[in-house]
Amino acid sequence: MALVMALLLATGCYSGLEEFGPDGVGADGEGDDAGEGGDDAAALCGDGVAQTGPTKLRRLTRSQYERTVRDLLGVTTDAAVGFAPDERVGAFKSNAVAPVGDLQVEQYMDAAETVATAATVDLAALLPCDPAAIGEDACADEWVRQLAPRAYRRPVSEADVSRLMDVYATAKADADFDAGIRVTLQGILQSPWFLYHVELGDVTSPADEGVPVALSGHEMASRLSYFLWDTMPDDSLFVAAEAGELATVEGIETQVARMLADPKSQEAIASFHTQWLGVDELESLEKSPTAYPDFDPALAQAMKEDTASFANWVLAQGDGRLETLLTSAFTLSEDPALLALYGVELPAGHVSGEPIALPGEQRAGLLTQPALMARHAHADQTSPVHRGQLVREKLMCQILPAPPPEVDNVPPDPDPDATTRERFEQHSADESCRVCHELIDGLGFGFEQYDGVGAFRDEEGGLPVDASGWIVGTSAINGDFDGAVELAGMLAGSVEVRDCMARQWFRYSLGRMDTAQDECTMDRLATAFEDSDHDVRSLIHEIVLSDAFRYRLAPEEQ
Amino acid sequence: MSSRKRINPSSSRRAFLGSLGAAGVLCPFIPLLERELEAAPGDFPLRLIVLFSANGTIHENWAPTGGESDFTLSPILSPLEAYRDQMIVLDGLEMSRAGVGDGHQKGMGHLWTGSTLLEGTEFEGGDGGTAGWGGGISVDQHVANAVGDDTPYRSLEFGVQTKGATVWSRMSYAGPNQPLAPEDSPDAMFDRLFADFDVDASELDRLKAQRQSVIDLVKGDLDSLMVQHGSADDKLKIEAHLESIRAIEQRNQAEAPTCEIPGAPGGIDHDANDNYPLVSQLQSDLLSMSLTCDMTRVASLQWSRSVSNTRFSWLGIEEGHHDLSHLGDGDQSMIDKLTQINTWYSEQVRYLLDALAALPEGDGSVLDNTLVVWGNELSRGNSHGNRPIPFVLLGGGGGQLEMGRYLQYDNVEHNRLLVSICNAMGLADQSFGSTDPGSGGLPGLT
Repeated sequence: MALVMALLLATGCYSGLEEFGPDGVGADGEGDDAGEGGDDAAALCGDGVAQTGPTKLRRLTRSQYERTVRDLLGVTTDAAVGFAPDERVGAFKSNAVAPVGDLQVEQYMDAAETVATAATVDLAALLPCDPAAIGEDACADEWVRQLAPRAYRRPVSEADVSRLMDVYATAKADADFDAGIRVTLQGILQSPWFLYHVELGDVTSPADEGVPVALSGHEMASRLSYFLWDTMPDDSLFVAAEAGELATVEGIETQVARMLADPKSQEAIASFHTQWLGVDELESLEKSPTAYPDFDPALAQAMKEDTASFANWVLAQGDGRLETLLTSAFTLSEDPALLALYGVELPAGHVSGEPIALPGEQRAGLLTQPALMARHAHADQTSPVHRGQLVREKLMCQILPAPPPEVDNVPPDPDPDATTRERFEQHSADESCRVCHELIDGLGFGFEQYDGVGAFRDEEGGLPVDASGWIVGTSAINGDFDGAVELAGMLAGSVEVRDCMARQWFRYSLGRMDTAQDECTMDRLATAFEDSDHDVRSLIHEIVLSDAFRYRLAPEEQ
Repeated sequence: MSSRKRINPSSSRRAFLGSLGAAGVLCPFIPLLERELEAAPGDFPLRLIVLFSANGTIHENWAPTGGESDFTLSPILSPLEAYRDQMIVLDGLEMSRAGVGDGHQKGMGHLWTGSTLLEGTEFEGGDGGTAGWGGGISVDQHVANAVGDDTPYRSLEFGVQTKGATVWSRMSYAGPNQPLAPEDSPDAMFDRLFADFDVDASELDRLKAQRQSVIDLVKGDLDSLMVQHGSADDKLKIEAHLESIRAIEQRNQAEAPTCEIPGAPGGIDHDANDNYPLVSQLQSDLLSMSLTCDMTRVASLQWSRSVSNTRFSWLGIEEGHHDLSHLGDGDQSMIDKLTQINTWYSEQVRYLLDALAALPEGDGSVLDNTLVVWGNELSRGNSHGNRPIPFVLLGGGGGQLEMGRYLQYDNVEHNRLLVSICNAMGLADQSFGSTDPGSGGLPGLT
């Protein structure tokens, strides 16, 4: 394969390090630590005045739709597969910005009809009552009053019930009772109250325009639930919401501890890590069958699950610390093809769910996992650029400075007798390219011991691999290193990486980027993360207690 | 929501001509319109199709040789030889690089909108900055707003593995910040268009009545939300949802078009890389059927997306398209492979044209009454260039344009092509998009 490195980035970089900053707008550093005492309901930031950036009206993502249907109706469905893809905000799936078009609304109609048909196959299981015993209309009314508050994630009014019973009555009159239930369910599933994360705030304390409003208990229950479970609230959350417990720090902490201990949190933790690191759609990754004959969708799926199970183990069974995520060498995977790629065998007497140790000189945490290495590579070779970019953008939340407008970003011609690194170094020798590639290449070269699907290698095409690298532009970890294992250890000690981790979790939790108005929250998160020795679970607790999580500022028109 | 509203529901060519007289504007295409006016009632509708393929082309193998009318097609466009009399190759058009976004982002977002991207933090570009969605209505939607009221769908967006919802993968916009998702699945598109056709009449009536009661419910809920939501951004979303549900309601109440139902695609993994050619053909088949059934008069077909990394394994090409497109010009293998890829796209365009040409309409074919516009987000992949963008006009276009030509421009803004598209479709626009210099349509086109 005589190919020169392809560049995602335009090569060249003239503005240098001084313009480096986090890609969000919020600042870090030593902020005022407002402390939590006093009135539980009061804002944590400022002088009792909540500070938060705007949160847009969001639609359920595909996975949220399917899981909500599952928890609402007990129906396992892939009905959202056909939806137009989810938007992303930064790395994370969040339908926050673009409004729906005809196509999407028709897709909702189609999915609702499919789900409603499946859910009404066994009416006795769906209904809370026996229509033969108490009468069809009475039973329908009871069912609506039970289902609608859960589907809409809020108490329903008589007007809501009446609108739904109109649908029931029309369909029943036209056909029969079963149709009445089915069509009503279609309606519930197409209601904006079902499809959107509606957040109007606590109507008992309305805020002025442009001022953050405290969420209602039910809205808080939904935020918690979709953040930590990627699905609708359960009964316990609804009860807590109705009891006003989600307006207090104690009530929120009780729920978060319970929710993180629930297996449903594994789905959200998996989603966070796979989306953050760009491997959530790995099963559709294409590789050259000539270069990587063993790579197929099943292996890609195993790689993705490897990342998810690793992260879940660290957060649930492990110490939850960032350093552990970045440096531990083990896998939970039992997939034979993936274990072969790792070069290990299933240990004798292996118990499913127990970590399988990986060679410590070859692997270190998330970064060297095959999922990440395969994703940040080309179809037939590695990509130091993509891997350097992975560290800068995903781990350090940095955006690389823009190339100079006059730069010629056509890469040099290939040389069949050179390693990837050697070929890559050719264009880095150009002064106009060099400054920027200093930032990327030093990191990316460190991953050259992992081929385009993440297998460890000492040589490339008969030539020895040089995985030495360097890191610049950081506050405390600048220096040389040899290989990604050493790099991962350095990154675990980086202030930039720690603050970025907090920032990424924040973005995931609310499905939006951080803004200047979230500065106080970001400061608190950074401090709390530091104080807990970088335990991600503590970070999660701090996020849900933050102003940004407990209040909503409605956005103005773009 | 003004951008989603009909620009002028009655702006048919006839109404347009009437207003022209009052305004005293003279345009070079008026004689053509008058010619059409003189035609007998029952004229066939004029349709617009916009096509997209990604990552630029290899200009030296794309541009024809020769003069305006005695040109010889290049290797890349040679599959379209049979349509050289219904073709205008447009060389030398430039796409503005104003505003935020990297080369691919701008290329995709500017292509049919002629407008700069919105500022935003959603999409991190390869240029060190961030960008939001596209900043204006796209030309297909602008035309659809004017000509789409008489058909069940104002427009239809077909995709072939366009994948994620990002500024790199959306080209059609109902307005600023309102990207329209294409349907990537031929099966889903078939169901959308034709599923109700084989339901028996009484069952269909019942289905429609049930859907109507659900539509009423959803409209009621949206209305109540609208009252409760004070934020302008929230209201915009609710209004867009309302407008969509109203469009669905209209279709639900309308008589189904009389039309022969094509065969169903029959189930296919439309996201699998190696199914790309098959999906392309299925979508082209459905697109041509939707036009001949008059289900819409405006359609788009988007092959992959900007930064497309489709692997053209069926051409024996192992590397991803985008990876290839960044190789240096000294790499002959890259030139050969990208020429192969772009030639393959010409074959797909021919497939669509063949399908449209095979559908009789009056003395001619559906293709005679269709204007096809094929564009790209870049000129060349390895330079991320914005000039010349390879544009080709195809089809009879209802006789609005003088076809069979190779036109060479000297870095003329592509907004002027967008204006010409509007004019050819009977709209009076004299500028299009935020980057338009306001010089009107492309000179020499009609």
